[in-house]
Amino acid sequence: MSEIVRNDALGAAGALSAEGTRVRAAARAKRTRRQPPYLLVISVLSVLIFLSLWYIATERGWVSPVFLPKPGRVLAEGMSNLASGQLMMDVWMSTQRVVLGFLLAAAVAVPLGIVMAVWAPAKAAFDPFVSLLRPLPSITWIPLTMLWLGIGEGQKIAIVFMGSWIYILLYTIESTKRVDPLLIRAARNLGAGDISVMWHVILPGALPGIIAGLKVTLAISWSCVLSAEMIAAQNGLGALIWQGKDWGNLALVLVGMLCISIVVLAADKLADVLERLLLPWERHQRS
Amino acid sequence: MTAAPLPILAARNVTKTFTTGKEQELVAVDNLSIDIHEGEFICLLGASGCGKSTILNMFAGFTQPSTGEVLLRGQPIVRIEPRCGMVFQSYALFPWKTVRANVEFGLRMKGLPAAERRDRASAFIEMVSLKGFEDHYPAELSGGMQQRVTIARLLAADPEVLLMDEPFAALDAMTRQVMQEELLGIHERSAKTIVFITHSIDEALILSSRLFVMSARPGRVKAVIPNTLPTPRRLSVQFSPEYGALKSTVWGLIESEVRRSGTEAALD
Repeated sequence: MSEIVRNDALGAAGALSAEGTRVRAAARAKRTRRQPPYLLVISVLSVLIFLSLWYIATERGWVSPVFLPKPGRVLAEGMSNLASGQLMMDVWMSTQRVVLGFLLAAAVAVPLGIVMAVWAPAKAAFDPFVSLLRPLPSITWIPLTMLWLGIGEGQKIAIVFMGSWIYILLYTIESTKRVDPLLIRAARNLGAGDISVMWHVILPGALPGIIAGLKVTLAISWSCVLSAEMIAAQNGLGALIWQGKDWGNLALVLVGMLCISIVVLAADKLADVLERLLLPWERHQRS
Repeated sequence: MTAAPLPILAARNVTKTFTTGKEQELVAVDNLSIDIHEGEFICLLGASGCGKSTILNMFAGFTQPSTGEVLLRGQPIVRIEPRCGMVFQSYALFPWKTVRANVEFGLRMKGLPAAERRDRASAFIEMVSLKGFEDHYPAELSGGMQQRVTIARLLAADPEVLLMDEPFAALDAMTRQVMQEELLGIHERSAKTIVFITHSIDEALILSSRLFVMSARPGRVKAVIPNTLPTPRRLSVQFSPEYGALKSTVWGLIESEVRRSGTEAALD
């Protein structure tokens, strides 16, 4: 920092470009910073130890296969479901429901949240419903949605929607309110009207918080679809797990659970990439 | 008898009080009346906490006086006024916009075509020695560089009055001198009205055409001093005997204020 300030003093083009190089180099260092290799080794070892304990405990018969299948069984079950295409089908069905319900929730809650944050009458009108709906877990909507929508796709999507929109709404309101009022003043001082303030200041200012909220909510959407599928569905990862339970096939249950972890992790990584594309300025934030 | 020309900015019996905790009232500005004429370079000089920023905020329309009124060309300022552009002490740059987009913002609000915006922005970016940083985001720049972006942003927007709240405070001594010379040049060329807050006597003497010495708590104008130093002014004016004489006059006025507010601060 002090070096940057000192370079600032010179003001000459040469010094400034040196400063630029420094700034860029610092940014690059931040991007490529990795944890030291020995920590990675510890992580790998820890997983290997867990797997061997699992293997030994089941091979030696310390744990009955009724309660915990052997790792090899889980692997074989996974491979056979993968080969038959059943697993990918279930992943696809669940993903589709999550994506539709989640996008619908975002399409309703983000605009509504922004309006509620900037216009007090809207907030006053919707607040009672938000307070009443917020404490309800999404599974409490299962009876009503089944009555209204049957047990088809619409009902699954509705469960995801009901479990997700309120969180997106709350995150959106909060991050819209937290936009620095000084920046709004500055924009108006530079001649911006209401629409320009909204487009150039409030929306980009709230965007990082809204995206953070969407990421948190995406995981919630997944838990919604799984509970909906466990209760009434022909396919999807939730149904797969429930079938495994009904057939006493614990290996299948574990395959389903592992699959959920992988899909949600992958969705999270994808969201990270999207976040970086949408918020180029956040990469340089000095924390 | 001819009528005096209408001042571009004026404060008429302006008082501004803030309610602090426990229902105590803090009088930031007390019965202030000033006239600022077109083309003047006014420096408000005073110790910290003497209501200088409050005065500027009222001229920009960010806050309204508790009593009295502030006028722009005879019209009361009742909302945020784009004709009185502000350089914020804390930069207030848009973090999601690059240096170029920040500097272009005011031009964009005026509806200028993209090509013209770009040309004008480039000229001001070059003026504040940030050429080559057009595509950087503010967070990538040092404090002094960010401060220069806000100055370029305001100059590009081309308001009638420039309100500057200690704009060079974050700059190191050498950059500050460069920026002071640039500002003098801009003032000479454009004859813009500038109201500039500083607590540096040297800065006030180098820049101003008139300087207002403020008293601390409540903020009042203690003295109005016409700056008789020759114009066009260069930084070398600091070595002239007139400069020394004027500086000692100003220091005489300000010393007691600094001591007073200093003891108050110690008692706080």
